[in-house]
Amino acid sequence: MSGINISELDKVYDSGTENVVAVKDLSVEIDHGEFLVLVGPSGCGKSTTLRCLAGLEDVTDGSIRFGDVDVTDRRASERDVAMVFQNYALYPHMTVRGNIGFGLKLSTKLTGDEIEQKVENVAEMLGISELLNEKPKSLSGGQQQRVALGRAIVREPSVFLMDEPLSNLDAKLRSDMRTELQELQADLDVTTVYVTHDQTEAMAMGDRIAVMDGGVLQQVGAPEDVYRSPVNQFVADFIGSPSINLFIADVDGATLRGPGGFTYELANPEPVAGHDRVSVGVRPEDITVVEAGQNTADVTVVEPMGNENFLYMEMAGHELTARVAPAVRPTEGTHVPFDFKEAALYLFNAETGDALKTKTDTVDSAVVGTTED
Amino acid sequence: MATSDETDDRVGQAYRRRLRGAVGRATRRSRRAARPLWDRFRFARQDLTAATPTLPRVAYIFIAPFFLLFSAFLAFPVFYTLYLSFFEYRGVGQGSLFWIDLGPLYLEIPQIAQLEFIGLGNYARLLSNELFWQSMFNTSYILVIQVPLMIGLALALALALNASFLRLKGVFRTAIALPVSANLVAYSTVFLLLFNEQLGFLNYALAGVGLGPVPWLTDAFWARNTIIAAVTWRWTGYNMIILLAGLQTIPQQLYEAAEIDGANRWEKFRYVTLPQLKPVFLFVIVLSTIGTFKLFAEPYVITGGGPTNSTITIVQYIYRQAFVNFNLGYASALTVVFVVIVSVFSVVQIKIGGED
Repeated sequence: MSGINISELDKVYDSGTENVVAVKDLSVEIDHGEFLVLVGPSGCGKSTTLRCLAGLEDVTDGSIRFGDVDVTDRRASERDVAMVFQNYALYPHMTVRGNIGFGLKLSTKLTGDEIEQKVENVAEMLGISELLNEKPKSLSGGQQQRVALGRAIVREPSVFLMDEPLSNLDAKLRSDMRTELQELQADLDVTTVYVTHDQTEAMAMGDRIAVMDGGVLQQVGAPEDVYRSPVNQFVADFIGSPSINLFIADVDGATLRGPGGFTYELANPEPVAGHDRVSVGVRPEDITVVEAGQNTADVTVVEPMGNENFLYMEMAGHELTARVAPAVRPTEGTHVPFDFKEAALYLFNAETGDALKTKTDTVDSAVVGTTED
Repeated sequence: MATSDETDDRVGQAYRRRLRGAVGRATRRSRRAARPLWDRFRFARQDLTAATPTLPRVAYIFIAPFFLLFSAFLAFPVFYTLYLSFFEYRGVGQGSLFWIDLGPLYLEIPQIAQLEFIGLGNYARLLSNELFWQSMFNTSYILVIQVPLMIGLALALALALNASFLRLKGVFRTAIALPVSANLVAYSTVFLLLFNEQLGFLNYALAGVGLGPVPWLTDAFWARNTIIAAVTWRWTGYNMIILLAGLQTIPQQLYEAAEIDGANRWEKFRYVTLPQLKPVFLFVIVLSTIGTFKLFAEPYVITGGGPTNSTITIVQYIYRQAFVNFNLGYASALTVVFVVIVSVFSVVQIKIGGED
């Protein structure tokens, strides 16, 4: 019914004295019913993009289409979108009932009874029926969040826009709501654009994720593709928690020489051919502590998580993080040898940050995925 | 302190290992640099505190000045006014109310006034006094027209100044709010001159466009309007500033949510601005009502209460009774009635407007 097509979107804020480019030449195609997550650090332009989609910001250049309809110059109220704000933006003087029904009251020809019926249905779906006569200020954060969702759902819009809707909730509630939101979106089958700065949320929720930095779209793809095959060092660094370990190494034929006597022989030196220096990336889960090896690091902190341990290590002033089995528990302050597979290695151009080589190791869990269907 | 620094360091270590980027480190370093001096000051302060003897109930000594001044200059006059309203004033007091003879020191509190108890006589008198009712009518008339007019105007100006497209906001804001700084008597005199029937600028300007002279000060209807114009000129900017501050506290996101919900300009005003502004609105209404009810200087200077008492206000009437006719008892009764009316007004407004 309604996918979204964003084409060469530019957004420039003109403050009179200087122009601030918030979004630059952004093009992305979102399928009907897809859950797309816009993710990036603060100020990367993800919220601006969402606000352009909502019609809350004018577009400087480019076009936005919902399905076959060009909505670039339409007002927010004419776009058939619903938005969930980070601070929920509930009307403080209205009851929950009033808040959810407000949009229907203003923009549809439904009778009062029909609106009432819809509001009650949505409230029941979200489990907030008993709160309908409360004012927002007497609700908890999680309940307010549900009301905000209800306000969006009741309108049956063609597009959902969500601006960090979970970031004001505590950790436990956030992961619960994450699942619930995904189920809800799948049931309603409404195209959704979701903005977050939290890469975990992006990985967990998105059908596809779009990583932005400095107003420029870096990469769009399925979460695992983005994780395994980032187009550049920024994406590799931003996606994944704890972050990927990155350091600069000199290229000597097939040998990489890094800080603190780090050396690594590449079986396939092709990606580094023609480069004097490269940026080496290794995911924390790919580092293994070994009995003996060429490369060593000082363990500074061990964080036992129960199901796994995080090792914080130092290699000639460079920090390394390793994610290891709970049984691996080296003493803090000791010197440990470590290793990783070449297939798990990422290499980036040291100057431009572009990816030269990404993960090529196979994923063991592929079997689990097939049994699920 | 060394030991505490060490623990601090050990705790901080794990955290800092993970804290990437130089920002955290830089702030920490600069805090370190200022530390010895700050510490020395803190130790000195702590030593001083420890060396100072503690007095029992010292807090009461600290708050005593307020209560002494409050009792002498506010509480006593208030209660004395209530007391006085049951008496007829006969003249300045003679003799003593209370004295203590301590040999060299002789302490005497003189009697304030010669009073004759007449019970509710003053209240009965005011109810049947035509001028009291006249002043009540005048004040109410001015109030009913002036307060809505002024607040409507202030709101319109505040909305205009809050709009994003307007340039030179600061200049307009200051210009509109400036009249509040005008001296009451000075600005009233200016209005008196502007509205003068023979020599005033206003009638001169009207004559210029072919309109006859308006009896601004000599006709009952026009004289009241002159007072209303003056008061509105002075206080609109003040109320506008308060309303503008209120407008600026309304979260922008509510307007955005309303926009997405399909609200037009009027609906945003009706469903977001007005309900959000309600507490500020109430404050402005209550304050303006009290302010206009207390109206005194403008009619005193501009019309003198005339023509034939058609602009005399309650406070002006009280003033005449108290300080021209020296009917202090009667004036006190008027004051009590005045305070009761203002209080009832305010309570009713807050009851109506304060409901959520």
